[in-house]
Amino acid sequence: MNEGIAGKLAKQFINSKITPLLMVASLLVGIMATFMTPREEEPQIVVPMVDLYIPYPGATPAEVEARVAKPVERTLTEIPGVDYVYSTSMHDVAVVTVRYKVGENAEKSMVKLWSTLMKNMDKMPAGVQFPLMKKVSIDDVPVLNLTFWSSTKDPYQLRKTAVEVADELKKIKDIGDVDIKGGLRRQVKIVLQKEKLLQFNVTPLQIARQVQMSNSQMTDGDLKQMNQQIIVRSGRFLENAEDVGNIVVGIYGARPVYLRDVASVVDGPEEVNNYNFFGFAAAAPKGSLQGEYPAVTLTVAKRQGSDASKLADKVIARVNDLKKSSIPAGVTVTETRNYGATATDKVSTLLEHLLMAVVAVTIVVGFFLGWRGALVVLASVPITFALTLLIYFLLDYSLNRVTLFALIFVTGIVVDDSIIIAENIHRHFAMKRQPKLQAAITAINEVGNPTILATFTVIAAVLPMVFVSGLMGPYMSPMPIGASLAMIFSLLVALIATPWLSYRLLKTEAGHHEEYDITKTGYYKLFNSILSPFIESSFKRWMAFGVVGLMLVGAIALVPLKAVQMKMLPFDNKNEFQVILDMPEGTALEQTARVTKEISAYLKTVPEVKSYQYYVGINAPINFNGLVRHYYLRRADNMGDIQVNLVPKDERKAQSHDIAKKVRAGVQEIARRYNGNAKIVEIPPGPPVLSTLVAEIYGPSQEQQIALAKEVKKVFEATPGVVDVDWMVEDDQKVFNLVVNKERAAFRGVTAEQIAQTLRMSIAGMDVGVMHTSNELEPVTIQVRLPQESRSSMQDLSGIFVQSQGMGSLTTRLRAGEMIPVSELVKVEEKVQEKSIYRKDLRRVVYVTADVAGATESPVYAMLDMDKKIQQLKVPGGYAINPLYTASPNSDEKLAMKWDGEWQITFEVFRDLGTAFAVVLVIIYLLIIGWFQSFKTPLIMMIAIPLSLVGIIPGHMLHGAFFTATSMIGMIALAGIMVRNSVLLIDFIQIRRAEGAELKQAVIESAAVRTRPIILTSGAVVIGSIVMLFDPIFQGLAISLIWGGVLSTILTLVVVPLVYYMAEKKSR
Amino acid sequence: MTIRNKFFLFPAALTLLLAGCSHHEPEHSGSVMQPPTITVESIVPVRDGGEVVLVPKSALFMRGEMVGLYVVGRDNRLSLRWIRIGRTVHDEVVVLGGLDKGESVVGSYTPELMDGVTVKKSQHTTEEVQSR
Repeated sequence: MNEGIAGKLAKQFINSKITPLLMVASLLVGIMATFMTPREEEPQIVVPMVDLYIPYPGATPAEVEARVAKPVERTLTEIPGVDYVYSTSMHDVAVVTVRYKVGENAEKSMVKLWSTLMKNMDKMPAGVQFPLMKKVSIDDVPVLNLTFWSSTKDPYQLRKTAVEVADELKKIKDIGDVDIKGGLRRQVKIVLQKEKLLQFNVTPLQIARQVQMSNSQMTDGDLKQMNQQIIVRSGRFLENAEDVGNIVVGIYGARPVYLRDVASVVDGPEEVNNYNFFGFAAAAPKGSLQGEYPAVTLTVAKRQGSDASKLADKVIARVNDLKKSSIPAGVTVTETRNYGATATDKVSTLLEHLLMAVVAVTIVVGFFLGWRGALVVLASVPITFALTLLIYFLLDYSLNRVTLFALIFVTGIVVDDSIIIAENIHRHFAMKRQPKLQAAITAINEVGNPTILATFTVIAAVLPMVFVSGLMGPYMSPMPIGASLAMIFSLLVALIATPWLSYRLLKTEAGHHEEYDITKTGYYKLFNSILSPFIESSFKRWMAFGVVGLMLVGAIALVPLKAVQMKMLPFDNKNEFQVILDMPEGTALEQTARVTKEISAYLKTVPEVKSYQYYVGINAPINFNGLVRHYYLRRADNMGDIQVNLVPKDERKAQSHDIAKKVRAGVQEIARRYNGNAKIVEIPPGPPVLSTLVAEIYGPSQEQQIALAKEVKKVFEATPGVVDVDWMVEDDQKVFNLVVNKERAAFRGVTAEQIAQTLRMSIAGMDVGVMHTSNELEPVTIQVRLPQESRSSMQDLSGIFVQSQGMGSLTTRLRAGEMIPVSELVKVEEKVQEKSIYRKDLRRVVYVTADVAGATESPVYAMLDMDKKIQQLKVPGGYAINPLYTASPNSDEKLAMKWDGEWQITFEVFRDLGTAFAVVLVIIYLLIIGWFQSFKTPLIMMIAIPLSLVGIIPGHMLHGAFFTATSMIGMIALAGIMVRNSVLLIDFIQIRRAEGAELKQAVIESAAVRTRPIILTSGAVVIGSIVMLFDPIFQGLAISLIWGGVLSTILTLVVVPLVYYMAEKKSR
Repeated sequence: MTIRNKFFLFPAALTLLLAGCSHHEPEHSGSVMQPPTITVESIVPVRDGGEVVLVPKSALFMRGEMVGLYVVGRDNRLSLRWIRIGRTVHDEVVVLGGLDKGESVVGSYTPELMDGVTVKKSQHTTEEVQSR
């Protein structure tokens, strides 16, 4: 027999001293890499997304859309690499979100965006202010939240403490953004007294100007005297409230009017603009405090590429230190999020699974090859993984659930090469036809080359998954890359380390020297009895094929029968979820707080909830979801977020998704009582989307779009299983529009701007500067405003005055400085606030959003369900709405609807995976043609691929699981494994026939000889996958590998030899 | 497997039970979650002043900048409510946000008032309020 690459390689290393050294070295670098690779929970995904905020004060949404959003969008879509452009035109501001294609370089994209924007700034209308550009990245999601709460301190004091702690924490290496949510800042409030202002003839505008001018200090230059330079500086900054009070704001009579004469100057907390409370719930440890307490949250983000768990540990250690100094007694610091800990948890669980899989596989191998054989296989796995982990480290991957998943996924596959080699060496040792070393090399030669081919077949199967595009791409890519690397390493280990180990560990049983006869083995007898009848009778053979065919058709039929449902990814079991409350626009902060509090009180009674924290008027620290959904902009009075923390998953029975489902009804019942809309938001298992179900409604006018959206919303609400229905259309909010009477204002010598400024200052308040204090960490602003009690109704505004700038006409002699009441110059018009305009890819759109839970868990079925109802909707014009699935409508002339959300990603993923699968088949076909030099043989081998479906689909039904993207990956990988089995089978038949055996004999012999390695390798895949069965996300993969593996292995062993026999017989 | 789990749970539950008995027991002992009933001087309905609602000044308390009061629910349970206040009219305060018409509040704030506590009016004050 001539030697192949495998034999040559093995010969070099089987007795080399370098082999054990190589093994030890790779193990060591692998261990080092494991500790040095940063750990985090979510994979590093670059979602190159940039938010642009373009202020256009005073403009209505329609104006903002026409003048700002539209032109900006148009220029932005010219940039190469831009995938989507979304915009929201609101009163006074346009928010434009640009999403690049996944994988685009973030920095380059920012530069391109900036230059394009700047190039077109001159085309912006007057009044548009400078845009603010913010990159949104996964590293903006805080990894650690520390809640500072207290039963004695108020939000102002809490914030002060948190700010001091934040300042200290910022010094830690690798720390990213440190932010503080909630609490009240220090502020110097100039509370105007209307009566005094009138009495002293001073207006708010005057005060603002005086404060601004007094708050200045300047280096004026230097004087030269006697060879010396003396610096001249003038002015003095305002340093305390007293300084502010002493500002002279006017002259009344003959004496100066001080600011303190017309306003009270208060140095202290700003006016309440948010409510942030923390409380322990039902599952809190005994003895925890019962009530809810004012809280402030300190959020810590990490720097890109750093280790979340190490950072979290460092921060917590530092905070514990600070408890002795900066943090006063009475303030408790509670960890309300620690992604570092969950990452470590996840990583160690996965590593544990990995270990279990390896051990399980070893035990299986032990059954067949004895403990020595098992030891050979066991030793080869750590080396393979060590090298793969090293490559992860070198490629800047982090250890996260996806990269580790890749390892678990291949555990069953990487042992295969070693198993095949070790098994064959074992067999040859047992046959005792040759001396030991010679036997080993012959054994390797025999299976080495098909093993190499088989390895590349499996790689060919998984590698095309790299080409999954869209948001899911970065989620998937570590898998094929990791798996392919591991396969290559396992092949090298199998050819270098395994022979060395086998040669030393495997024993040739001394004693009986009788000649090895295959026909006497149990496998031969078994296959002889199974295969012979089929080989001899063509009728029986066709019957067998018919039965297998029927099984296949039956299995596939389960999908349209909905016995197995498709879903992209099932929910993971997390330790948290959020409740997002939207009250109607125009709801007061306190009313929102009250509803939020009531919902929290309900959540508090849920047995699995450990603690909760609610944020009203300010957004809760965002999670992965919030990034895409713009939850960091939830800062209005009508919005409340509740962060719900559950007990760790090993301390509860229910999965987080089931808890979320359970509380939904109760939460929404409370919200509905107050006309609010509450949503339960879980952390998505895959890439985040706007909402699971999104209906985009396009049309010729906003009114028609909204009318259709309303109907669609009704359909959503009426469909069982569709929950959290909402739309992005604001409720009507009352607006008092103060229209300036131009003539009257002109006669009074007052400008419209004066009126606007005065009103703004009085109602919203105006920051007129900052205090120059040396010991304050946050800037202390100086704000001019009317007190709350004199700005709550239109009547209150009657007491606000503006100063006339003089009017020198012939008829009126109005001197400058005359106080004119604003109410005299304006007319109040009551209106409804114009609604925000949303645009996507240059088209106006209205979104209707929803989630699915309960009756249907998969959006696709809910969509199909609703399609029928939506088609029956009546629209003006009398045409039917046919919801679109993959592309936006061609024109805006007719009303149209497109599905988006999770569907979009599901569609892309399954489309890409399907294409990948097709490419896989072609590549495998080519590989085998190259090896066997036959066009027919590869087809026979590939028969095994569809056979895996017989196991996979009913397997999902048995487990009541969804057919997910991971199931699909399992199916693709299985294709590679099954073809490899066929390769091993047919390769042996050809070897035997070349040696002169008869066809029937060769077929049966091959089945008998190859059964053990095939069952061993498939067994390894099956056993290795069992640990994954309990992970909600990887369950699909496990089911595919286990059921598909078992069924197709059994069928392959029978069907492939039979088909080969038939084909060969005919060709003769 | 399941049987072994249960055996494992038993001593664990027992120790927990014993640990619970030693201290902190009165705070919340399992099933009896109901805190004691508190007697208050007066429960006042929110006064409807046309376009505004008013409550007595004595009902309010401050926590830093936050203004709160205790609302008596239909089941006589107290709930802490944060409100926004406007002008003061004699001994009454206009509430701008956080309170609805038709709700009742505890007339005078005392520190022992707590969220979730059931309240009872003391007899003599009820008559006093009614006679007003």
